[in-house]
Amino acid sequence: MTQTESSARKPAAKKPVARKTTAAKAGSSVAKAAPAKAAAASAKKKSGLAFPFTAIVGQEEMKLSLILNIIDPRIGGVLVMGHRGTGKSTTVRALAEVLPMIDRVKDDIYNRTTEQYLEGEADKKGAVKIDPASVKLEKIPVPVVDLPLGATEDRVCGTIDIEQALTSGVKAFEPGLLAQANRGFLYIDEVNLLDDHLVDVLLDVAASGKNVVEREGISIRHPARFVLVGSGNPEEGELRPQLLDRFGLHARIITINDVAKRVDIVKRRRDFDEDPEAFMKKFNNEQVKLQKKIQKAKTLLPSVSMSDEVLTDIAKLCMNLGIDGHRGELTITRTAHAHAAFMGQKEVTMKHVKDVAGLCLRHRLRKDPLETLDAGEKIERELAKVLGEAEAV
Amino acid sequence: MIAFTDIVGMDLAKKALMLLAIDPALGGVVIPSAVGSGKSTLARAFAGILPEGTPFVELPLNVTEDRLIGGVDLEATLASGVRVVQHGVLSKADGGVLYVDSLSLLDSSAISHIMDAMSRGEVLVEREGLSEVHPADFMLVGTYDPTDGEVRMGLLDRIGIIVPFTAQNDYRARKEVVNIVTGSRDPEDVRDELRMMAGFLDAAREMLPKVGITPEQVQALIQTAISLGVEGNRVDVFTVRAALASAALNQRSDVDDEDMKLAIKLVLIPRATRMPEREESAEDMPPPEEEPPPPDEESEEEDDSQQPDSPDADAEEEQEETPDMIEELMMEAIETELPDNILNISLASKKKSTSGSRGEALNNKRGRFVRAQPGEMRSGKVALIPTLISAAPWQEARKRDQKMAGRQKTALLISKDDVKIKRFRDKSGTLFIFMVDASGSMALNRMRQAKGAVASLLQNAYVHRDQVALISFRGKQAQVLLPPSQSVDRAKRELDVLPTGGGTPLASALYLGWETAKQARTKGITQVMFVLITDGRGNIGLQSSFDPNAEKPSKEELEKEIEALSLSIQADGVAATVIDTQMNYLSRGEAPKLAQHLGGRYLYLPNAKAEQIVDAALSF
Repeated sequence: MTQTESSARKPAAKKPVARKTTAAKAGSSVAKAAPAKAAAASAKKKSGLAFPFTAIVGQEEMKLSLILNIIDPRIGGVLVMGHRGTGKSTTVRALAEVLPMIDRVKDDIYNRTTEQYLEGEADKKGAVKIDPASVKLEKIPVPVVDLPLGATEDRVCGTIDIEQALTSGVKAFEPGLLAQANRGFLYIDEVNLLDDHLVDVLLDVAASGKNVVEREGISIRHPARFVLVGSGNPEEGELRPQLLDRFGLHARIITINDVAKRVDIVKRRRDFDEDPEAFMKKFNNEQVKLQKKIQKAKTLLPSVSMSDEVLTDIAKLCMNLGIDGHRGELTITRTAHAHAAFMGQKEVTMKHVKDVAGLCLRHRLRKDPLETLDAGEKIERELAKVLGEAEAV
Repeated sequence: MIAFTDIVGMDLAKKALMLLAIDPALGGVVIPSAVGSGKSTLARAFAGILPEGTPFVELPLNVTEDRLIGGVDLEATLASGVRVVQHGVLSKADGGVLYVDSLSLLDSSAISHIMDAMSRGEVLVEREGLSEVHPADFMLVGTYDPTDGEVRMGLLDRIGIIVPFTAQNDYRARKEVVNIVTGSRDPEDVRDELRMMAGFLDAAREMLPKVGITPEQVQALIQTAISLGVEGNRVDVFTVRAALASAALNQRSDVDDEDMKLAIKLVLIPRATRMPEREESAEDMPPPEEEPPPPDEESEEEDDSQQPDSPDADAEEEQEETPDMIEELMMEAIETELPDNILNISLASKKKSTSGSRGEALNNKRGRFVRAQPGEMRSGKVALIPTLISAAPWQEARKRDQKMAGRQKTALLISKDDVKIKRFRDKSGTLFIFMVDASGSMALNRMRQAKGAVASLLQNAYVHRDQVALISFRGKQAQVLLPPSQSVDRAKRELDVLPTGGGTPLASALYLGWETAKQARTKGITQVMFVLITDGRGNIGLQSSFDPNAEKPSKEELEKEIEALSLSIQADGVAATVIDTQMNYLSRGEAPKLAQHLGGRYLYLPNAKAEQIVDAALSF
């Protein structure tokens, strides 16, 4: 996360500067404070290392939905809701390490592709035609950007660089989190607690794929397409329906009640806290393996196909569940494709559909306050019906 | 300042803080305790036993977002021409302690920021053109009075230790505290004691990495967490850490039974949602009125804020086979450490709120100023200073533009973009308190209607920032089944089992509803609406609800009581709707009268559907 973010940020190495400020502040008493500090530091991920994705025990539904979104970002992101202390944010933050690399225009603050770059530059006032061949590219890891609850709107959308204005009186645009997240992941922990005005901004940008900022007579417009990942505990508050609808997938996560698994979780956590580097090394092979598998699936995806029969069954399923609009069908189709690709298969079958139906549809069912049946069960019931019919034919 | 070693009593709280001092990765300690028990004195004294120079930062309750998270220090920035960053309170506590007194009164957005910082160990500052990461790896020490309300579960989940509620200090302890305050102790002694304590803790910290715990012990702790119905997996790590720290405190290299018991007591039991199942003592839950005699330390507290999560529903999950010996031990620990009303020990008691004055004081403010945010000049109160601040950096650039455009020179150039509007944390949503008559034969029906209405209101609650609570009344006393909440999930779970039948303690319901309303106001709710689903005929007096031996009041007395209560509630500005769903062969007009006294509406809706009730509530 750290590495991806700082590489996406234009004015180099702001974070290290910030860290230094703190050290200086505490300087006078630093020697004596060392024991407490050291103890605290060893406990948390002060090392800057995130807990490895492949070391996370259980919670397969969440892991799968994140992976499928890497394989096909058009799935539309994932909302992870569930119990406290079940590793939601740990998992999302671990994602960065297994993400593939992408090409972007060299040093571009918006992570643009050549096409996006050319289009953007052509829109500018007094634009000169740029020769596509002259555009230099560089490889960066897919960015994962963390949007904290306390973020202000100008930092999310971007604003005029205050420092430059002060020192040189120049108005320069300073890109916000949306710019950094272009072509990557935007993660919001406790998304159900996000301030209304930020939700408005997100909905707007997610719908158009563009971010527009007008300030101090400067008008900036840049692409902002990202995979939206949110997590939260439903007991702390409900999510706004429009925002809920934006998420392609909805993963549920509950407390693991298997003792052996829980012992394993504790053990891994302690090993990691004790020596993060050694722990990372231990899981390095698996991390690399997963990364390769994802990359392979991405390559395979365009050649994955789906028969009309499967498509019909999907349509039937959505109809029987009374899902409005076509976003349900579309999501399920894309997700099943990505799932097939991840399994290394070129043909989408009903098994793939079955695996992802709950993820895709759970949050799209019409809500009935007196319904006692859980959304997942309802989907499974309808799925069984459709499958039964298919077999009977 | 009173030293840690001087404080008498509260031994468990002290031990908890010592464990935290040994292993800061425990995240923090929360101490719920009544007013005047010396909890904040103890928390502040905690600073004295930490290694010298460890930051100890006290968080003021009215902290604003930018003070909490940090941001641009404009004064310094303008003076120097270079952006100067000011660290927030969270970051100032890095490597040390963040202390919050009255944790349950802390604003919910502040709690979210604290939670976020705790899970990262740092603060992401993405504000006002600033993008930085500040280290914020701190221990949270929080104290609060449970009568003020509950602390958010999400926050408690990130804090390792929750000290069992202490109602009162014993007499001896108080007396000694007084002695100390009056300065009868030799400062020399105090210093030596503190020094010894520091050495003691140093040794324990050194010991900690060498302490071992067996896989069986880890398994037993996890088993205990599962059988107590503790939510989440994070807590396992805390339990193990607490056991290790306890062993280190005693200079042992192996975790023993005592360490395990202490860990269970401080980490797991306060989060229990159900009674562990055991062959003979399966599920006989004593009624909450029965209070066990308070032993000196962790004693009783009635009532529960956590889910009285239908214990039988998930209790029979898996009864497991672990190393039998250890399991036996754990059960023993639970049984001896616990007063037998486990589900009623709580982090919060909602029985009474004595903090009326505080509630009202907050009320007059109409929400709290949280931050300034860009907006239209006319859409709210202009925040003058933030507006000027945001205009300041542009003066040079704008003056240049102005000159180039040949416009007339002005002293200050403020543009529309600079305007900042004050934003208050004024939820301004409505709290709907459903009060459902669960007595008598039609109770089941009314309960179903109310449940449907609650769920359906909550579906749309987000948009209006509304909250819903549900109080049922039957038998001797009314009971809050669903505390004010916005969560559909929680409502569904808590309303799963609704007992019905018995007497009709209407007065108790009104009283409890009023208390709930008052408490909600301290948290920013400005409007409260009672929705009473009843025929209006109460037959249990308020006295009888608290005292089973109270004399049974006459019918006139009962009517008077309800009238008086209703009028006070009306005077307090609570809106009300009375819905009578009973076939009214026998009605003597009590329900319309109740509505009249409450200054509310009366609706007669026989066989009402949930939607009708919702419409009635919303159409006020």
